[in-house]
Amino acid sequence: MTDLLSSPRPAGDVLEHAADWSWLPDPADVPSAPTLAHARDEAERLLADHGVTYGADRPDGDHPWHLDPLPVTIDEPEWARLDAALVQRAELLDAILKDAYGPRRLLTDRLLPPTVVLGHRGFERAVDGLRLPGGRELVLTATDIVRDGSGAWCAVADRTQAPSGIGYAMEDRRVVAQVLSGIYRQASIQRLGPFFRSLRLALRAVAPEGSEEHPRIVLLTSGPSSETAFDQAYLASMLGLPLVEGTDLLVREGRVWMRGVEGLEPVDVILRRVDAEWCDPLDLRQGSRIGVPGLVRAVRAGTVSVVNPLGSSVLENPALLTYLPRLARVVLDQDLALASAPTWWCGEERSLKHVVSRLEELVILPTVHGTEVGSILGWTLSRRERERLAARISAEPWLWVGQEPVGPAGPTVDGTPVGVGSDLPSSEGIGPADLGPRAAVLRTYAVAHDGSYTVMAGGLARVAEGHVVSSALGAAAKDVWVLSSQAETTLEPWVPSDESAAGEAGQPRRPATGISPRTAENLYWMGRYAERAEDTSRSLRVVIDRWDDFHRLPASAGGHALQVLLEPLGDSPSLRDLVLDRHSVGTVARSIRMLGSSAAAVRDQLSTDTFGPLARIERALRDERSKTRGRTQADSLDLDTSHSNAATAGLRPALDRVLEGLLAIAGIASEGLVRDVGWHFLDAGRRIERAQNLIVSLSALVQRRAADVDALVLESVLLSHESAITYRRRHQAAPTVADVLELLLHDRTNPRSLAFQLDRLREALTVIPLAGGSPDQRDHLLADVVDLLDELDAATFAAAVTDDGRRTRLAEALESMLWRLRSTADEIERVHFVKVAPSRSLEDPWDARAGAA
Amino acid sequence: MTGRRYDLVHRTTYVYADVVTDSYGRTTMTPRDVPGQTCIDTVVEISPAPADTAAHVDYFGNRTTYFGVTTPHTTLVVTARSTIEVTRPTPSAESLPRVGWQEVARRVAAGDVDRLDPDLADLREAVLPSAHVTLVDEVREWAAPTFAEDKPLADVLVELAHRIRTELAYRSGSTTVHTTQAQLLAQKAGVCQDFAHLMIAALRLHGLPTRYSSGYIETRPAPGREKLRGADASHAWVSAWIPGAGWIEVDPTNDQLVNDQYVLLGWGRDYDDVPPLRGVIFTEGSGSQLKVAVDLAPAGSPRFA
Repeated sequence: MTDLLSSPRPAGDVLEHAADWSWLPDPADVPSAPTLAHARDEAERLLADHGVTYGADRPDGDHPWHLDPLPVTIDEPEWARLDAALVQRAELLDAILKDAYGPRRLLTDRLLPPTVVLGHRGFERAVDGLRLPGGRELVLTATDIVRDGSGAWCAVADRTQAPSGIGYAMEDRRVVAQVLSGIYRQASIQRLGPFFRSLRLALRAVAPEGSEEHPRIVLLTSGPSSETAFDQAYLASMLGLPLVEGTDLLVREGRVWMRGVEGLEPVDVILRRVDAEWCDPLDLRQGSRIGVPGLVRAVRAGTVSVVNPLGSSVLENPALLTYLPRLARVVLDQDLALASAPTWWCGEERSLKHVVSRLEELVILPTVHGTEVGSILGWTLSRRERERLAARISAEPWLWVGQEPVGPAGPTVDGTPVGVGSDLPSSEGIGPADLGPRAAVLRTYAVAHDGSYTVMAGGLARVAEGHVVSSALGAAAKDVWVLSSQAETTLEPWVPSDESAAGEAGQPRRPATGISPRTAENLYWMGRYAERAEDTSRSLRVVIDRWDDFHRLPASAGGHALQVLLEPLGDSPSLRDLVLDRHSVGTVARSIRMLGSSAAAVRDQLSTDTFGPLARIERALRDERSKTRGRTQADSLDLDTSHSNAATAGLRPALDRVLEGLLAIAGIASEGLVRDVGWHFLDAGRRIERAQNLIVSLSALVQRRAADVDALVLESVLLSHESAITYRRRHQAAPTVADVLELLLHDRTNPRSLAFQLDRLREALTVIPLAGGSPDQRDHLLADVVDLLDELDAATFAAAVTDDGRRTRLAEALESMLWRLRSTADEIERVHFVKVAPSRSLEDPWDARAGAA
Repeated sequence: MTGRRYDLVHRTTYVYADVVTDSYGRTTMTPRDVPGQTCIDTVVEISPAPADTAAHVDYFGNRTTYFGVTTPHTTLVVTARSTIEVTRPTPSAESLPRVGWQEVARRVAAGDVDRLDPDLADLREAVLPSAHVTLVDEVREWAAPTFAEDKPLADVLVELAHRIRTELAYRSGSTTVHTTQAQLLAQKAGVCQDFAHLMIAALRLHGLPTRYSSGYIETRPAPGREKLRGADASHAWVSAWIPGAGWIEVDPTNDQLVNDQYVLLGWGRDYDDVPPLRGVIFTEGSGSQLKVAVDLAPAGSPRFA
């Protein structure tokens, strides 16, 4: 067995790289190699379908989350010891945090050298003396642990700022439970649900006194461009919390409010995923655009509780590891149960000497996590580099620690592989076939609950190729199974469960209240981009069919009709680019990309089912794009060329797959979403987009052409708008302009008609609440469109043809309606998506030329 | 001891090019009470009237006021008015303990402090670099001649203040909030904040606890008293710890120990901990005009504003 995080240990020092399944009650359940290989592929597909990423908004697209489905297994007695040790650790850290921002009794050289706290950038003087209600300061904490050479657990770091990974842990469990469902159902595995329940209760427990029985809790995200955007959004939806950005919040009258489309709503508790220093540009780091000016003032007033409290990252100082044993004895009157990696804080002279003289054996860490300096592996440095590092450390020694490598095979662990290899050989799993030792870290979580701490039964394990385990560097995650002797009946809360299901008495839930203008805007644009992608795909599909049929026959009626259809696409357009190019405006691929960004920004509002179709669409486009490479020559459309259908090959099936996905998304929106304010924004976006696109394509009917050409053009327009079959059924004859106009403009029963879009749009706009902005102009413009449409008698307008064959009245009417619809869209943005003016710092009085002293 | 009574007016005016919808600010313009100084009466006036204000005593013990203006405006005026009684005797450097600077640094590093001394944590905090005080080689080289073996810390303080007064030019507007000590030494000109930061850096580099003091000096000295540099705006100086004497306030801009011509607002690690005013505004526009006016005059003098 190789999995050195798992409990079952190799007997003797023989390391066989095979998973230990001895704990399975029935040996028949042990998965075969092909089963595991299949599980790995399935996991990859599921993660893509769920839109699970690490790192976002990169030019080359999001990075998928890597998951090795083979779980780390830990047996019950060992976990029980670890659980107790982690509870003790959380209690100790909590006590240190309280003391650092309170009486400072521990800040002495005998216990905790004051500079460890006061010289750490995470120590926020602006919140000194402030306390959370409920008796705990450290609400949520994570500890990274590894196995040392003897197989004992050892802590390498504490994450107390805003621990990440809970959402990933939940998602890993969800995926592994599915791809290894046979084993998962057989095994008694402790559930993650109780931890989430405790987290929910913990957030309530710190609500300020005097807040309502059901405090309003939000998750403050660092935004969709954050590396862990998925984790944040997924956690928010697991906990049922609105996902807000700094600009969604503001401080008025000494408390925090959330901007809603209906006005301001009070906020009682903020679960933050923004580092403290960025949380308030007034009292913390100046110039932060992601914070809330005045937040510290509100915290000081006791009207809002921030979790973890601002300033909690002072506990992340690895120098603290040195002093935990003696602090445990003084604070808790206990021995520290969970050892830490041997760590020397260079702020003490003897430690400095020790570290500088042994640089080549140690891992050197800055005391502040997340700076540009990561972990420095001393043995990888050249002599010159070591000298430079020694000088740098000696200049500001209190900012550095040296740590003995544990877990990953360092030079000090001669021959004894420590860490973990994947249990899968490389053809099926992650990593090389020899399964050499790999660095592995288990992140555990604890949340303050009921006078103590609840530890997540499991956590987030990560394995890496090198010595440094980092998701940014491509580490793979593993689920962690804590075996249980008792069969568990509780199900995992895959969906935000309501509290009564989680065991609390049925309390009246506050109705889902408003969404922020930012969320509303993203939903609206989601609707628009989804529709834009769909409309473009449908028209391009028709164009491609005509192209394949007629591009070799330019003089035929079909050839002429093809010209008419190609005209709006620009001079010698590339159909491949119109489908596949991610960067040019108006392409299918770009609309899909924008749809993806809008959806990612409101992930907490959407069913996870939404991301499956999106992933499949992206895959279809990507597959086709990869085929295109290397054959761009024959790409442009030239009616005179007698090329084969190379220009369109593969596009039709790709568009079919895109449309399938878009229909699934539309279906989820229509059948899976509650008709709340957010849904109406989504629908309004779809309607206004479809209305505009319809009018644009109807402009093909303005010019009268030969009857056989027009018949093909009309049919193409009907096909593009999903109305050909209806038309044929009703008319059983070649289409006429008047009848097509009737069906696509006036028929209220046709979900593709303009009248239908206007009805739905008006309905949505009556439901969407107003927050200040006057809707007069918006409603006026829309009423004009309705009037214009009423006046547009299909038969009359179709018959009104001038000498040059133009239906001038139709052209004018279409243009008037289009212009007004575009203005309506502008008005919707103005009225509903009120942009907050940008913030900046006041000019510093020091810089006042007139009188600096 | 009969003291001097001052009326203090400190007005900061911002005129914006565009409408500001929201303005959040924090002032540290209210003098704190310390031995030798009592604030008798004080008020911070803000225009437009803020919807929310809150005063508290900060980490360093300074009196600070938060305000939130939610009325759209193009002009923001923050005026602090105080009446202060100053009974601070004129100190003399000769009467300070003659403890050597190395011995002081040793005591701080070893935690060898008395019960009557400041808290060790406070002393350790005062030797660390901070936002505006960097411990760089340029400062070390500049300061080296003053840190002779066994020189009493009191003499080091006097000499540093004197060297700053004589080696660097006082030039209003010559630096900004972003100027570093290395830049200051290169351009050889600065304002009081720069001089304070330089002296703090020189002392902390040698392990000597030093704080930054923010305050004022009298604007219109009585006949026979010299008008001091930095009188027309906020002033800044240095506070260094001498065992047995406590925190000693030295003004390198005027090369003297702080006397009854000074009013102290508060202290911190450097300017960043005690700026008189900082704020965040919400506006589509850019650009603003900023005016600062300070008057510290004997109580009952004709008011300047």
